[in-house]
Amino acid sequence: MNGYNHKKILIDGLWTNNPIFCQVLGICSTLAVTNLVLNTLVMCAALIFTVSLSAFSVAALRHFTPKNIRMMVETLIIALYVIIIDILLKAYWPEMSQNLGPYVGLVITNCIVMGRCEACAISNSPKIALLDGFYNALGYTFILFLISSIREILGMGTFAGIPMPFFSTPYWDKWIIMVMPPGAFFVLAMIVWLMRSIQLKKIK
Amino acid sequence: MKIIDLKIYPVIYIFILMFIASSIIIGAAKFTEKNVKMNEKIAIGKSVIQVLPEIYKKNMTNAEIHKVFNEKVKKANIHNTYYYFTENQSYAIPIEGKGFWAPIKGFIGIEQDKKTISGISFYEQNETPGLGAEIMKENFRRQFNGKKLSADGKINFKRKGEKLSEHDIEAITGATQTSTRLEKIINNSIKEWLKNISN
Amino acid sequence: MDIQNQFWQALIVCISAIFTQNMVLSYFLGLCPFLGVSREVKSSFGLGIAVIFVMTFTVAINWLVYHKILIPLGLHFFRFIIFIIVIAAFVQIIEMLIERFSPTLYQILGVFLPLITVNCAILGACLFMVIRDYSFIVSVAYGFGSGLGWFIAIMAMAGIRQRLDAKKIPQGLQGPGISLIIAGIMALAFVGFTGVL
Repeated sequence: MNGYNHKKILIDGLWTNNPIFCQVLGICSTLAVTNLVLNTLVMCAALIFTVSLSAFSVAALRHFTPKNIRMMVETLIIALYVIIIDILLKAYWPEMSQNLGPYVGLVITNCIVMGRCEACAISNSPKIALLDGFYNALGYTFILFLISSIREILGMGTFAGIPMPFFSTPYWDKWIIMVMPPGAFFVLAMIVWLMRSIQLKKIK
Repeated sequence: MKIIDLKIYPVIYIFILMFIASSIIIGAAKFTEKNVKMNEKIAIGKSVIQVLPEIYKKNMTNAEIHKVFNEKVKKANIHNTYYYFTENQSYAIPIEGKGFWAPIKGFIGIEQDKKTISGISFYEQNETPGLGAEIMKENFRRQFNGKKLSADGKINFKRKGEKLSEHDIEAITGATQTSTRLEKIINNSIKEWLKNISN
Repeated sequence: MDIQNQFWQALIVCISAIFTQNMVLSYFLGLCPFLGVSREVKSSFGLGIAVIFVMTFTVAINWLVYHKILIPLGLHFFRFIIFIIVIAAFVQIIEMLIERFSPTLYQILGVFLPLITVNCAILGACLFMVIRDYSFIVSVAYGFGSGLGWFIAIMAMAGIRQRLDAKKIPQGLQGPGISLIIAGIMALAFVGFTGVL
């Protein structure tokens, strides 16, 4: 990519090449926390921070990094940012750090971060890499936000901890399955189906 | 020959990167160390005060918690367990053990008569939100206030719908594992405490 | 905790790691290769066995590294990097050993080993081992059980997918969509195990 098109990168990351329903990457570490909207948002914020800055750093160093150790370097850079997030969370928001448990550390092995570094950052300017990483992570956030909203409203009747009008009354029998792992799989499957069908229609 | 072409360049590169990364991480860790320790102390202090109704007030600030904890709560170390108590001999007994997903840690308060429970609180748990994690909620914890230990120093968890005596607590529906484990944790801790203070 | 208690806990942890706390179906770890490789029973078998092997050994090695090196030095926040390095190094060494000593084994397992390095399940198992503060014996049992659980899940998934008739699935659902639904149903089935322990 020589000149770059900001709009194209944006659309690519959010829709055409969305990490979840297109590339189907990186779902492991975040599906577990999608039972609560607040936890999901914090995790996604951590991911956006990590992907953008890692892509930026990798791209900035790309002329100095020898080819045969580039994966180690990428892992090191990613780990650096994740550890900083983990330390900051533990110090300034300990309840959230407890809620997220080991999943913050698992962002390091999240295929999206490594994927964007390999696919884009290693051969583009820092500015492009930063934008690409940011929008990919944003596309990821948007889907996970959808999943967690559905799961929390249907499963617990609240949204980000705030009780919702109909769903927290005794008239709504909470769908406990939404709070448990199978619920996450089903909601994700439905969303993947929905998004892909829309995309296929557009192609036709 | 440019520096990049040297055979040893990759090794030097990695070393420099690791050095920079480690410095940043260690720096951040040291900077926040005090904060982390303070958070832990406040969490434990808050949990202890919550089960000692004579010194507990709603919505205490961190500074108030710190002050009350230091002034009004005494500490005793018996067999490597810290027990907290007030002048009136009401105890806050640590309850710690394996929950369903992760360790559960908290305190249970017992009054001077060594039978009546004054409250229960948790400062660490990671059970399923909406199910096991309901143990943190007020309406579950409130059940414990005023209940009494049975003759053999136990509390029993009963299923919803069963009749509850003053030794029984209603378990959380759908959170069988957490409830069973919590019952064990509480009873074991109380057993230890009764054994320790009789010496 | 004395040795007898530890063995008992090890057994319980191992069995629960297979059924009630399955790595894939309860904790969502290792999903990427799970969805990607599970098209064929043969490759799933190879990957599953490799996962069991790597997981058991790396959890054991990482336990030693964490408790004997990192904690005494007060460097416990480095565990992320160190665990990954240990996992990558172990996989590399094993790949070289297998290639040298057993070409047949290499045929089955070899190509999957690099895939395992980035499998979140391995790192996840190590991190859980630290959070739950397991002793050494229990950790080894946990690593083995988690790997076995992952293996059973991917074999079941592959078995089901191989029999699916692709023509009858709506286009938007083909591939990851239907795999996720199958995973959800399996997760539901495994939830039924929670009463056992």
